Amino acid sequence: MTSFRLTVEKAVKTYGGVTALADGNLDVQAGTVTALLGANGSGKSTLSKILTGVVSPNSGSITLNGAPMRFASPQAARQAGISAVYQELSLIPDLTVAENIWLAHEPLKNGFVSRTLMRQRTQSLLDLFAGLYNRHLTPDALITDLTPDERQLVEILKALSFDPRLIILDEATASLDGQQVNRLFELVTQWKANGMAIVMVSHRMEEIFRIADKASVLRNGRTVGERVIAETSERELVELMIEGAGALHRERAPLVDPANPVRLEVRGLKTSVLHGVDLTVRDGELLGLGGLQGQGQSDLLMALFGAIRSTGQMIVSGEARHFRHPRQAMAADVALVPGDRGSEGLLLIRSIFENLILPSWGSYGTPIRVARAREKGAVIAEELKMVMSSLDAPVNSLSGGNAQKVVIGKWLLRAPKLLLLNDPTKGIDVGAKAEFYSLLRQLRDRGTAILFYSSDDDELLGLCNRVLVMHDGRVSTELFGDRLTHEQLVSASMGTPS
Amino acid sequence: MTALTNKDSRSTLKRIQSRLPPPLVALILAVLLFLIGGLLAPGFANVNQAVNIVRLAAFLGIIAAGQTLVIISGGEGIDLSVGALVTLGAILTYRITDGDEALILPALGVILLVGLLIGLLNGIGVALLRMPPLVITLGMAGVVTGLIYFVTRGQLIGDTPPAMGTLLSSALIGPIPGVVILWLLLGAGMWLLLERTQYGKQLFAVGINRTAARLSGVRVNLVVMLTYGLSGMLAAFGGFVLLGFTQTVFLNLGQPFLFPSIAAVVVGGTVLAGGKGSYWGTIAGALVLQVINSLLLALRVEEAFQLIILGVILLVLLTMYGRQRSVRQ
Repeated sequence: MTSFRLTVEKAVKTYGGVTALADGNLDVQAGTVTALLGANGSGKSTLSKILTGVVSPNSGSITLNGAPMRFASPQAARQAGISAVYQELSLIPDLTVAENIWLAHEPLKNGFVSRTLMRQRTQSLLDLFAGLYNRHLTPDALITDLTPDERQLVEILKALSFDPRLIILDEATASLDGQQVNRLFELVTQWKANGMAIVMVSHRMEEIFRIADKASVLRNGRTVGERVIAETSERELVELMIEGAGALHRERAPLVDPANPVRLEVRGLKTSVLHGVDLTVRDGELLGLGGLQGQGQSDLLMALFGAIRSTGQMIVSGEARHFRHPRQAMAADVALVPGDRGSEGLLLIRSIFENLILPSWGSYGTPIRVARAREKGAVIAEELKMVMSSLDAPVNSLSGGNAQKVVIGKWLLRAPKLLLLNDPTKGIDVGAKAEFYSLLRQLRDRGTAILFYSSDDDELLGLCNRVLVMHDGRVSTELFGDRLTHEQLVSASMGTPS
Repeated sequence: MTALTNKDSRSTLKRIQSRLPPPLVALILAVLLFLIGGLLAPGFANVNQAVNIVRLAAFLGIIAAGQTLVIISGGEGIDLSVGALVTLGAILTYRITDGDEALILPALGVILLVGLLIGLLNGIGVALLRMPPLVITLGMAGVVTGLIYFVTRGQLIGDTPPAMGTLLSSALIGPIPGVVILWLLLGAGMWLLLERTQYGKQLFAVGINRTAARLSGVRVNLVVMLTYGLSGMLAAFGGFVLLGFTQTVFLNLGQPFLFPSIAAVVVGGTVLAGGKGSYWGTIAGALVLQVINSLLLALRVEEAFQLIILGVILLVLLTMYGRQRSVRQ
């Protein structure tokens, strides 16, 4: 195998007006494991997508073995020997393991797809993880019948089937168990010895220190440093990932009065993702929920709202409850602003008015007193300063920030006592964010209990006096008072309490 | 340059589309076709013919009412059991009353209940068993038709009470037949149901985005089941009304209404993907279809050409409304 070297310099990528990557740099060599590190939204995934040709940068240079390079598509990158294992799985559920692995590069015999060859080669790939999966994982098993860890293994083998010279492991260990991770790392060591280049995006510091040779750190879309693992410490890396300690100006939120009644108490809440969550929110408290994305925050909020099945104890307004449908949660004055406006929050082609009143039609009688409902809708639109042509305009004519106001407005109309927020400021502009922050403060001061998940650490630091950090489906750390700092937040997110 | 002009003309078309709601387009089309018919076939455009067209459209319109609800409910919603239930409604009324006017109301009660129950079975299949509407309602059509064959052995015994013909099919107020008045009442009822009840508002929400609807407290499964139940009930009611016109029953009485019932809904601008539409649209759609039908008959167009012309008109209309893809976004 000839030497392989891929360099990305000064890569910039913007989406609309948002800069995802301002100055991305990466140097990848044969026989080296490079870790790509950064907090939420630092540009890690954009940079790794540039490597695989999924995203095309606005400017910057990519050099492959000394020659300038531009990948027009994932296929082009694959031909250059680059393949990636993604965390969000790309397998087709109704195809078999073999069909998925060899999709679009099926082994041929006399110009026809040879299922025998396909099966044999799949088996030899599976043998790499021999003994670490159930017997039902065969080349002919359907993906839909596999467990999450087995799917992740197939995903890894699929990337491997391209015989890559650079393999990117994007959170590839997230759903694997300890033994499987060990085997993967053994394999990585072998690949390294064979001259393959490896890039790993991981949130687990412990793994980075076990397997990586060097780490490249991103912060706010910029590559801020590269360290040789043998010469650095976890602490140094975490400091690189966050801005200069204490430089952040923020308004200290007042501590909630411990005399306020407890609005929500949860003990041992479990779902397929949550492994026992305990928490308490009081009236007038804006409790933050932090941690890296996908650690169970969404599941927690959905479970509290009765939108997904859960087990465990839940006490709402002093009464033991177990919601099986959002309707029951609503009757107990709970509201949820979901994480994805378009797919979970809005009826895009219907009017603003109908979206606002959707949870409340029942309170306007039969036949519906439309005039009264409209008055209410107009009041809330005014209060939230919605910019719109009329209440009858379809919601998809609104900007992101105004659309989000509709999602929030429909719950404010019901005057909730407990408000659950799932990353509500994602994809809205700075002005709308500022308005949203002051709205949250107002609601809190009026005595609403708020549980607020945000993927933006600055938001949590600026708005909350207490933050629960989630890791692997659990509340791993509680931060408040002096311990509520950016540094603590980041290191707790990485699962390394300090 | 070409691209620019193209874009311009497209936005003009869009403006026309947004200014003229589909039900109005369909209504104007129906009137235009009627007047054109007067030019092509002298003697076509007269009051008698108009009354006749509206009367025939009323039967289709009533049968398509439930179809409208099902299509609005989205999730590939469609009810292919409508034809079989029309037949069942007519045959049951025929048999139960056996020509006795005193039994009309009890018979009506029975067929509404039977239609509701069969429709609810469809709804349970769709909502709880997650079966594709196309499959479950087609299967249900087969089961209902098979049961009719099995029970009656093809021997249709019974009679139609004379009052049904008088009240429904003949001129009742001036030249206007009872069925047209009934249709208008149903139209008002459907408007109330869709626009002024919690069920109606939630139905549109379910049709567009079931996740968002559920997260806003809508009991999605209940709404879906109820919708198929109502569709079954309204189809059986359509059979009852149709008996007043045909006065007699036969084994595939309702089947010819199935595809027109879907066409009327779609021509009226109700979006097949769900979440958008109205019963006024279906009324206009039924009128368009009936005018075309009557006109082609009056012109003595061969049946093969009737089908072709009908197909082309449907395609043209749907292209004009055709914004379904952007709706899905």
